[in-house]
Amino acid sequence: MSVVALTLRFFRRTLADRFAGSFSGGLWALFQPLLQLAITSFVFVHVFKARVPGTDTLGYVPFLAIALWPWTAFSEAVLRSTTVIQDNAALIGKVALPREVLVVASVATSFAIHMVGFVAIVLILAVTGQGIHLAGFVPAILLYIPLCALALGFALIFAAVQVFVRDLAQALGQVLSLLMFGAPVYYDRVQLPEQFRGWLDANPFTFYVESFRALLLDHGDISMPALGIAMTTTVAVLWVGHRVFRRLDAHFEDFL
Amino acid sequence: MSTPLIQTRGLGKSYPKVHRSSDRLRALGRLLFTGVDRDRISVLRDINLDVHRGESLALIGENGAGKSTLLKLITGVLRPTTGSVSVNGEIGALLELGAGFHPEYSGRDNIAMSATLHGLSGAELRKRLPEIIAFADIGRYIDEPVKHYSSGMVVRLGFAVIASLRPDLLVTDEVLAVGDESFQKKCVRWMTDYLDGGGTLILVSHSMYHAQKLCRHACWLRNGEVEMLGEVFEVTQAYLAFHERKLASAQPVHEVVAAQGLEFHLLELSLNGESRDTPLLLDRDATLCIQVRVHSRDGRVPVVVVGVVRADGTPIYGVSTDMDGCAPYRVGDEEYVGELEFGDLALLPGGYTVRAHPMDPEGVRLFDTMERSFMVRGATRELGFVRLAHRWIHDEAEKAS
Repeated sequence: MSVVALTLRFFRRTLADRFAGSFSGGLWALFQPLLQLAITSFVFVHVFKARVPGTDTLGYVPFLAIALWPWTAFSEAVLRSTTVIQDNAALIGKVALPREVLVVASVATSFAIHMVGFVAIVLILAVTGQGIHLAGFVPAILLYIPLCALALGFALIFAAVQVFVRDLAQALGQVLSLLMFGAPVYYDRVQLPEQFRGWLDANPFTFYVESFRALLLDHGDISMPALGIAMTTTVAVLWVGHRVFRRLDAHFEDFL
Repeated sequence: MSTPLIQTRGLGKSYPKVHRSSDRLRALGRLLFTGVDRDRISVLRDINLDVHRGESLALIGENGAGKSTLLKLITGVLRPTTGSVSVNGEIGALLELGAGFHPEYSGRDNIAMSATLHGLSGAELRKRLPEIIAFADIGRYIDEPVKHYSSGMVVRLGFAVIASLRPDLLVTDEVLAVGDESFQKKCVRWMTDYLDGGGTLILVSHSMYHAQKLCRHACWLRNGEVEMLGEVFEVTQAYLAFHERKLASAQPVHEVVAAQGLEFHLLELSLNGESRDTPLLLDRDATLCIQVRVHSRDGRVPVVVVGVVRADGTPIYGVSTDMDGCAPYRVGDEEYVGELEFGDLALLPGGYTVRAHPMDPEGVRLFDTMERSFMVRGATRELGFVRLAHRWIHDEAEKAS
């Protein structure tokens, strides 16, 4: 069986599902991030008067936007993929297929949609002169690869476990929002009291937030050890995810 | 001998007992850390099956015997709990109505998904799509969501995909019967073509007629085990006979008269010289010789009645000595033997029972009853119990002569 063709087929189907019934179809993928950007910038800049500490040139809107889109892609990919096996119970019980395909397609869909949004946001910020370093654009896109792999690793674990323990998806929403506030998405590392800063590094997403900012906003920098740890974590999570999924895969239909 | 297309060895499947949600957690823990889960209900045990290329196998059995589970194991939808399945080819499965179709998507879209699931690449699919749509022949419905289809249209769509794929093995059941006349004809034509071209078929059927028509071999599954495996006629007949016996035993059994001490009672009933309890096996058109030994208390000559009934008790033929103006012969002071021979037994293959009774010389009172069963083997698709003497008229001229 051509796994690639199958993944593409499911990818297209999930993508179509996402926008099925909406008037604008795919346009919504572009429109939504813009709307979201407008709202967040209004709330944070005009209501909370938020600003990035230690700099006058960098506005809060690009600071937040550059971190928020990768996060949305990551968290949505993990959350949506968790129920993907359960949601396709009818298919799994009747047709033989490599089930990883469903998880891969689901993760890929979330990333595809939010990467389109990300590119659009970066371009808008660049055009409106918000201090975007376009030289960092290509590395930033490349940074999505390990991020996507990390999401896939988690998604494989959660999707497999969700078949057995249905409470997982419920709990995961809470855990993810905890993870978001536990990473410097809405704030900067230096705003945190000294003794808590080290904790940020325990969050696998911290590296990505800070790296995206370093690449596109020249805010902070990427340390080599942190990069090494992040890549090792990604590979480890992906490996564990693959093993867990393989082990439980044969028993899915017994518990669906 | 070539490697079989399908080979199963010690194949078994069991399901976990999941009553409460805590069971699920426990099962997850066991599976993750030890890879085994003990607390299970077994639905299929120790299946050893070889299906060779070009073979056609019917899978028969009662509901819950494990037929679907076996098919799902063969097609790879389920993973075996014990044993192994090896498959050396492409399998096309056409089982439940609309399995694998998504109701919200159009027929065209579902064809694409279904074909991809069967391993067709994008380029190949584009090439074959018109052919598939033409075969399904459902007109403008092809672009409507499948949820608006009639069941016949769903089957058309499913079959069209399989037909274009020409898998090495086709696994199907009576789902095809849903289609209308013209589509069924098309399916049968395709199937015959497919089988002639060396295709392999596994058919799950509750209709012995279909099984015998399309398959050469049959496998009878009972309570998750192979009860019988062999030539289709033999297996289907044994299966039918089993059902007839089951039906008969469900009916209240005649009270056996405590015959000893009565004026007449039976000593022995033997078929072709055998008086064992195991059923006698006969070939078609064989000779059946029935011998009835009767004890006569007063030494009077009894009337012997012999009847043949189907395994479920349906009477087929009965005759007595006095009807034919004969009498049993004497072998001792108080013992008589009635002997009857059916030459060229016209019974069709299946399970039967011979029943014998003694009656008083006046042919009024019936005393004892004894039964022996026998089976007629053979391959035929004729219907009913008995072959009636017949000939087909070939043309008008012959009719006139």
